[in-house]
Amino acid sequence: MDRLIEDTAERIFADHVDKGVLDRAESGEFPNALWDVVRESGLHLVGSAQSGTEPVDLYGVLRIAGRHAVPLPLAEVLVANSLLDEAGFITIAADGVAPWARVADGVLTVDGEFSRRFETEPDTNLAGESRDRVVLVDAERVGLPDDLRERLALSRVALMAGCLERILAMAIDFATEREQFGRPISRFQAVQHNLAVLAGETAAARCACDGAVANVDSSGFVHHVAAAKARVGEAAGVAAEIVHQVHGAMGFTHEHSLHHFTRRLWAWRDEFGREGRWQETLGRRIAAGGADALWDFVVDPSPHISPSRLWS
Amino acid sequence: MFTGLEFEPIDLPATAEALRTEVRAFVASELPEDYWPNSDFNEGHSPAFSRKLGERGWIGMTWPERFGGGERTFFERYVVTEELLAAGAPVSAHWIADRQSGPLLLSYGTEAQCRRYLPQIVRGECYFSIGMSEPNSGSDLASVRTRAERVADGWIVNGTKIWTTDAHRNHYIIALVRTEPPSDDRHAGLSQLLVDLHADGVTVRPIRNLAGGEDFNEVVFEDCFVPDEGLVGERGNGWTQVTSELGYERSGPERFLSAFRVLVEFVRAMGNDPSRDEAVLLGRLASHLMTLRRMSISVAGMLQQGGSPAVESALVKSLGNDFEKLLGELVRLQAPPGHPRLERCLRQTLLHSPSFTLRGGTREILRGVIARGLGLR
Ligand SMILES: Cc1cc2nc3c(=O)[nH]c(=O)nc-3n(C[C@H](O)[C@H](O)[C@H](O)COP(=O)(O)OP(=O)(O)OC[C@H]3O[C@@H](n4cnc5c(N)ncnc54)[C@H](O)[C@@H]3O)c2cc1C
Repeated sequence: MDRLIEDTAERIFADHVDKGVLDRAESGEFPNALWDVVRESGLHLVGSAQSGTEPVDLYGVLRIAGRHAVPLPLAEVLVANSLLDEAGFITIAADGVAPWARVADGVLTVDGEFSRRFETEPDTNLAGESRDRVVLVDAERVGLPDDLRERLALSRVALMAGCLERILAMAIDFATEREQFGRPISRFQAVQHNLAVLAGETAAARCACDGAVANVDSSGFVHHVAAAKARVGEAAGVAAEIVHQVHGAMGFTHEHSLHHFTRRLWAWRDEFGREGRWQETLGRRIAAGGADALWDFVVDPSPHISPSRLWS
Repeated sequence: MFTGLEFEPIDLPATAEALRTEVRAFVASELPEDYWPNSDFNEGHSPAFSRKLGERGWIGMTWPERFGGGERTFFERYVVTEELLAAGAPVSAHWIADRQSGPLLLSYGTEAQCRRYLPQIVRGECYFSIGMSEPNSGSDLASVRTRAERVADGWIVNGTKIWTTDAHRNHYIIALVRTEPPSDDRHAGLSQLLVDLHADGVTVRPIRNLAGGEDFNEVVFEDCFVPDEGLVGERGNGWTQVTSELGYERSGPERFLSAFRVLVEFVRAMGNDPSRDEAVLLGRLASHLMTLRRMSISVAGMLQQGGSPAVESALVKSLGNDFEKLLGELVRLQAPPGHPRLERCLRQTLLHSPSFTLRGGTREILRGVIARGLGLR
């Protein structure tokens, strides 16, 4: 991804998202100051046609947003702005639910409707992130790519990949600072091995995410997303379990910031299809190709590749 | 903020992809009708097949031309190795010489050693064994006791190596030996000697494994004379050399493909309209496989850039070995009855699975390497 965009996103989120902002967002207060900074920087336009940026930048910003648990509907805003001509605070509704619809300028639905007039009722996901229920008034039809749900699934993949990077860092910091039996708990082999597993899942998630992002416009995109959402969703579960075990009771408190990240992992792995849904998509596609095309699929899951029957 | 180990995403270059088609066609034409594929790199010892790969230029692919190498990229080598493994081709004869003994000689060997051994390896005619483990030195490799005493023109070696894969059918072994008495620095005083497995004073005894196969061996050295030109690299530099070998040993596709043929037969057994449970399991395993492959290609990129990705390799091997074990266990639970090919693959994988997380460094040792990479020890 573009270095300047990466550094800008990292700096803005690191400077403007803290526990106070997260807690207030969770109690229903939209982080206006944060949104103003993001808009002034132009980050909300990354990935849009006029911005001259690439999908790798769009999903890269989301990964960094995941590192900081940014309490804005950035995934929806970025994806909407990459599809619509009008840029602004547009959120996306799937199955009647859209993040922060109550403060948005417009709502786009995954089924291809758009409106600036809509009724909302506040609701949240299990991480306490806004997931407002929304009904559009006077909706107009807009043309959308037919892989919009996949793009949104990939947004959750990118958010999770970043969030995993953060909890790995938190786990390492905590383990080197917390002392028991007269030494840092990071000295205990059992703890080291848990952290090694956490590092493995984090690296795997990043690679799975990168693989799907690199294929946004390829014919095999659906399968890359399926593999990524399934693999990263699995990593999220393993990682959240380990990071809590390492943090002990302190990590189970509301006061500690860990739960802002782990609850998001639990929420995001469910949104736009749990692992099982994407595993099934992938499995059915492979089965349809047959045993002797399996390896070919693993190497390149594009549908245009004809099954190779070179060996059995 | 520390964000974890870096695995740069890599798209294989077109030259590497072009090679893929060639390898597939070759494998299809070379393997006999009744050949039973096995994607475990330790299975299938065929000097004839290795020589044919040599003719094609698919051994020593990254090595310099003056030693017979192909001067190709690590990506091209990656494609050849993954295609051979996925097809279950018999690759074990030349595997270790190509993967690590040759690269070790290139890094540390003399010009004369390279001239003598590398061209034979490239032709698929010369096979090497790894002489690290001993009866009392497994994970704690620095504790090896095999001794080499300095004599005129060479060394006299005494001691025992064990679990030495294919020593009974390979030509040479590169043994890690003590050339100095033990001191406070455990890693000092070790050296690597290249020894002819047919030399006087070397006795090789195959050890039967639990699957009934005889692949690994005990190798006993009794007053075995090794001439001066057998020393690889510098006297006393053995520890550094042996650790550099492990980067090559640990990151390749053989670390997650051992059980791959089980998945192939599982797909065959389920047919093209699977139950939901079958499809979900297949998709789950495929998502792991696709991700591991990306990680392994990324490590090939690090090798291509001349890096020594010891920690990244340990991480890929560790995830890969766990996946190989999980694959057999999970497919077993969903396998539809009445598919003898699948049952045969499952049985073979299950019987070999204990070795997946031992050979090349145990899971626990690898996790320790990763923890060190994270700055925890
Ligand atoms: C099929 C096969 C082929 C092999 N081929 C070769 C070969 O060609 N050449 C060669 O040199 N070797 C070979 N090996 C040997 C292999 O490298 C060793 O098995 C491995 O290094 C472990 O040593 P060990 O078996 O003595 O187990 P040990 O080191 O005794 O370990 C036993 C158990 O204790 C654990 N353990 C040990 N130390 C620690 C620690 N510090 N912290 C936590 N846990 C620990 C281990 O992880 C393991 O679970 C092969 C092994 C197998 C199974």
